[in-house]
Amino acid sequence: MLHARCCLNQKGIILGLDLQNCSLKDPGPNFPQAHTAVIIDLQANPLKDELANAFHGFIQLQTLILPQDVNCPGGINAWNNVTFYINNQTCQGQRNLCNSTGDPEMCPENGSCAPDGPGLMQCICADGFHGYKCMRQGSFSLLVFFGILGSTTLSISILLWGTQRRKAKAS
Amino acid sequence: MAWPHIFQRGTLLSRFSHHHVVVFLLTFFSYSLLHASRKTFSNVKVSISKQWTPSAFNKSIELPVEIWSSNHLFPSAEEATLFLGTLDTIFLFSYAVGLFISGIVGDRLNLRWVLSFGMCSSALVVFVFGTLTEWLRFYNKGLYCCLWIVNGLLQSTGWPCVVAVMGNWFGKAGRGVVFGLWSACASVGNILGACLASSVLQYGYEYAFLVTAAVQFAGGIIIFFGLLVSPEEIGLPGIEAEENFEEDSHRPLINGADNEDESEPNYSIQEDDTASQVKAISFYQACCLPGVIPYSLAYACLKLVNYSFFFWLPFYLSNNFGWKEAEADKLSIWYDVGGIIGGTLQGFISDVLQKRAPVLALSLLLAVGSLVGYSRSPDDKSINALLMAVTGFFIGGPSNMISSAISADLGRQELIQGSSEALATVTGIVDGTGSIGAAVGQYLVSLIQDNLGWMWVFYFFILMGILIGCSFHHPTSRYSPPALFKEPWG
Repeated sequence: MLHARCCLNQKGIILGLDLQNCSLKDPGPNFPQAHTAVIIDLQANPLKDELANAFHGFIQLQTLILPQDVNCPGGINAWNNVTFYINNQTCQGQRNLCNSTGDPEMCPENGSCAPDGPGLMQCICADGFHGYKCMRQGSFSLLVFFGILGSTTLSISILLWGTQRRKAKAS
Repeated sequence: MAWPHIFQRGTLLSRFSHHHVVVFLLTFFSYSLLHASRKTFSNVKVSISKQWTPSAFNKSIELPVEIWSSNHLFPSAEEATLFLGTLDTIFLFSYAVGLFISGIVGDRLNLRWVLSFGMCSSALVVFVFGTLTEWLRFYNKGLYCCLWIVNGLLQSTGWPCVVAVMGNWFGKAGRGVVFGLWSACASVGNILGACLASSVLQYGYEYAFLVTAAVQFAGGIIIFFGLLVSPEEIGLPGIEAEENFEEDSHRPLINGADNEDESEPNYSIQEDDTASQVKAISFYQACCLPGVIPYSLAYACLKLVNYSFFFWLPFYLSNNFGWKEAEADKLSIWYDVGGIIGGTLQGFISDVLQKRAPVLALSLLLAVGSLVGYSRSPDDKSINALLMAVTGFFIGGPSNMISSAISADLGRQELIQGSSEALATVTGIVDGTGSIGAAVGQYLVSLIQDNLGWMWVFYFFILMGILIGCSFHHPTSRYSPPALFKEPWG
């Protein structure tokens, strides 16, 4: 559904954003709120050409329309299709740069590369790993452990009390 | 050559009831569990150090802060290492202080209560230290230091109590073999701790602490319900009654050849009626006895090397060779295996030869050589494990013997012959100095490693080995007990 310049889905998540002709010099501090957008229109704005870091987290973005003099964030390699029209530039099809750079040492131990937006990559935990610095793997079953320990302790204590201390004088 | 008494007394096994077996096993495993929880800390040093520091990864890729660098307790891994060394030092100092206090406390209160209390409360402290701080994400240097001081004091209740209980149940006959086997408990505890820690380390280091603390707590409960402190508790005759019965068949006391009085005062923490006719000597007088100071310093150096291996081995293996922490933990077991074999075998050999000094001197000489060899170990797990076992053999053996036999030697000189108070005091001085030396050494190890690297740590150890060897040529290093009653780790 359309709401002002936003296109939202049923749950209220932004899918499209139309910011053309808004006299914007930069996308603004609240721009990351639209990180779920699939299509964004920024044409006819006096934007400066440093958009690379404004798109952190925009992993769903597939179509980005920019003024002619502004480059696609991440450069031409980050997009499948860059088309030039009369009054705008359209970047289409965000590429997952993790596959193309192919450096195996890209992330720290137990981390794996994941896209973070057009031309951006981040290291998150590899499959099965979690926690700080992805050091932890799997989950420890407290119930099983304490169950076994408790029952063993109980049985050994009863056994020993019966055979050893039962006849002990009060001390 | 004099074969130990075990071979001459065929009735050895018949004097031990199932109560003796249970007491042996309970005291053995309670001290093992105490040691296992100490070992856990050194087994997870790599993981803890990673948890406390932000990531030092230096590539252009974006690293989300919550995953990679939100913890800033220490700015770098080097600072964290220094703090880990400080914690070890703090622990050893408070442990040394606690040893002095615990002997007195154990005398006045029921041993079973003191031991269970010590085990259970130490387990709780370890749980708070390692598991609770991680679950609450609360990292604080002051808290860690305080908890570790308390842990040191609580853990020191273990040794005097188990020693006294063993002393109540096992008299002179067959003591040598029984105690020889029994004193492997610390090494077994190390192996147990290493196995437990490495098996749950993948879930997070906090679970390693949780598991060892929980098992130790359970052990404290079992001790409370199952331990008989002395035979008198269930109406059996005590060991003095048994020994009075045997005195007629006893060989006459010959200076140096009669070994059986030696170890009895060594753990006479609860004995208050033997040797009461001899005046106890003061602390100052004990220090001034010939040989006490040099041997205390020698023991300090040896304990320094031994404890450094105990505390730092998994960390060194991880850092130097890049092996995963869980594998390094499993491999560090071989040092303890070597120590168990070394202590038992060298004790047996010196029993048979009736000479302590040559065995010790040779072992220390070979220890220096094995340290050199180990420091140049190649990046191969099997060879490293073998060299580690050899080093453990040559360092663990003398350590075990010095802490027991030499203390007994020193406390039995003509000047103070028969005074059990002197022996306890001398043992306390030697052990206490040893612990302080070990404590200082831990800080030095992390300092040297930070600034100069691991090779210089090994040179430091080699220097210590040479110092010990030099201070060994002292007239009182004569042979004494077959009852190698020892405190292997302090």
